[in-house]
Amino acid sequence: MKTKKIIIQLAIFLVALIVILDTIFKVKETEQVVITQFGKPVGKAKITPGLKIKVPFIQKTNFFEKRFMEWDGDPNQVPTKDKKFIFVDTYARWQITDPLQFFKRLTDERGAQSRLSDILDGETRDYIANHNLEEVVRTINRVPMSSGSIGEEVGDTLSDIKVGRQKIQDLILISSNEKARDLGIIILDVRLKHLNYVEEVQTQVYERMKSERFRIAEKFRSEGLGEASIINGQKERDLKTIQSEAFRRAEEIKGLADARATAIYAGAYNQSASSRSLYSFIKSMETFERTFDTTTTVILSTKSELYKYLNVTE
Amino acid sequence: MILNQLNASDRYAKWKKSLSYYRYILWGIILIVLLWTTFFQVRPEEVGVITRFGKYIRKEEPGLHIKFPILERVYKVAVERQHKEEFGFRTTSTGIKSQFSKVGTTDESLMLTGDLNLADVEWIVQYRIDDPYKFLFKVREPIATMRDISEACMREIVGDRTVNEVLTVGRAEIALSVHQKIQQLCTEYLLGIKIEQVVLQDVNPPDPVKDAFNAVNQAQQEKETLINQARSEYNKIIPRAKGQAEETIQKAEGYATERVNNALGEAFRFNALYREYIKAPEVTKRRIYLETLQSVIPKLGNKIITDEKGNNILPLLQMQLNNK
Repeated sequence: MKTKKIIIQLAIFLVALIVILDTIFKVKETEQVVITQFGKPVGKAKITPGLKIKVPFIQKTNFFEKRFMEWDGDPNQVPTKDKKFIFVDTYARWQITDPLQFFKRLTDERGAQSRLSDILDGETRDYIANHNLEEVVRTINRVPMSSGSIGEEVGDTLSDIKVGRQKIQDLILISSNEKARDLGIIILDVRLKHLNYVEEVQTQVYERMKSERFRIAEKFRSEGLGEASIINGQKERDLKTIQSEAFRRAEEIKGLADARATAIYAGAYNQSASSRSLYSFIKSMETFERTFDTTTTVILSTKSELYKYLNVTE
Repeated sequence: MILNQLNASDRYAKWKKSLSYYRYILWGIILIVLLWTTFFQVRPEEVGVITRFGKYIRKEEPGLHIKFPILERVYKVAVERQHKEEFGFRTTSTGIKSQFSKVGTTDESLMLTGDLNLADVEWIVQYRIDDPYKFLFKVREPIATMRDISEACMREIVGDRTVNEVLTVGRAEIALSVHQKIQQLCTEYLLGIKIEQVVLQDVNPPDPVKDAFNAVNQAQQEKETLINQARSEYNKIIPRAKGQAEETIQKAEGYATERVNNALGEAFRFNALYREYIKAPEVTKRRIYLETLQSVIPKLGNKIITDEKGNNILPLLQMQLNNK
């Protein structure tokens, strides 16, 4: 009797617990909930966190993510308007804004991801195919910083763009949202993550970069030789100038001195007929002294001035 | 039967006794669990975020704190710690000499520059979680999101620069622009992340064109070398030539001085002589003549004195002289 009572009490307690547990449910900060009754959504979606209630058993909770979610596209090979084949890898952030609508249209996240892929891949492809590669790569028009001598060689310039990456991303975002409007989601942002040439084009680009660099290298080398030649020529010129100027100066100095000396000599020697004869006499005497030495043999006649007294004495 | 019943009641009493005993243990365990889930510690670099029934309630600073057990849950977020994400390379082992690997990261690092060339850019993003609420509850996969943002931003910024800017002068400016751009998007995406620094690591031309880029550097060096060589040759020759020129001029000056002085001296001497000579020209001339011969003749080797009759001995003397 007693045990029976305990069992009944226990059973009631259990049933009550189950009912309560199926009535109260917890919504986390990151979640939002749609309540369905026999598979059909009822009431508004619960988008605030905390404890909520529902009719037990006949109503069911469907939890959806409230946070921003990622969408990562597969790398797509897309031709640009100027017929350059590139790989484009995009990413997007999206959020469930209307869980009810989302539940009706897409059921769950997997459905949403595949739907997003359809929309975003298509839009990306369209917009990229409608623009030149430069419009996709570049964002703004700016003048590149001069990177010294190398930059000058290449002629570092960025050609002007009209649309630009940011604008293209914005356009993709707007038209994607347009298409996803009734899905209960909003795409917050679409961005081109990776952008690269397909392999064949890449090889061509490498070749172009190489030839450009080699061109610069050659230019440098020839510039070096040229400048060395200039310096060399300058050296020759300076050398000749210095040497010839020195020669000229020296000759001038010597000439002036010679002239002065001549004037002095003439002033002294050319005073009169007798000074002239004295000069020539002294000079020949000096010549005797200078030119006669031990190897000289002289034959002197007794008729000479010196020895004329050898024969006779007058 | 009686014996059995007695046994049963006895067992019941025993069971009841042991039940109360087990009950204590049970209450003990429950108490420990409650205490365990009531107290929690937040470490110095962390912040505790508390939710009740899934709803955000409050934040707790570092220290020991209490919460309602079971009903409340704590998330600990290291807000003071600096985190790092690597792009284009991975650190395989850290230490005094860290090792890096580039396997499979070329997709991250290879990017198009504004002049449609390619550059291989490696970089690091250092960040802190500055809003744990947003970090936990606003974005799913916040780190992966941050990585996506970072890659997109770097490409956007590099896409507006020439390959030369990326490789040389633009580095600092690029890091700064990327930093601002990532921060802007992190704020826009409600990531709760603060970007501390963007550091550009190796920025290289892609491997296949590296040689060509090195060739340019080499050529630049060669150019410098050629110019320097020419300059050194110039410097070797010209100053010396200047010295030599000065020497020539100085020598000429010397010559000039000497020449003039000699002339002056000789003229003076001549004038002096001439003044006396003019008084007695004949005898002076003779005196000088004789004096000269006097001084000269003793120095001579052979002296032959003949008169007009002795002219015929000259050939003999000639022979004698030749035989010597």
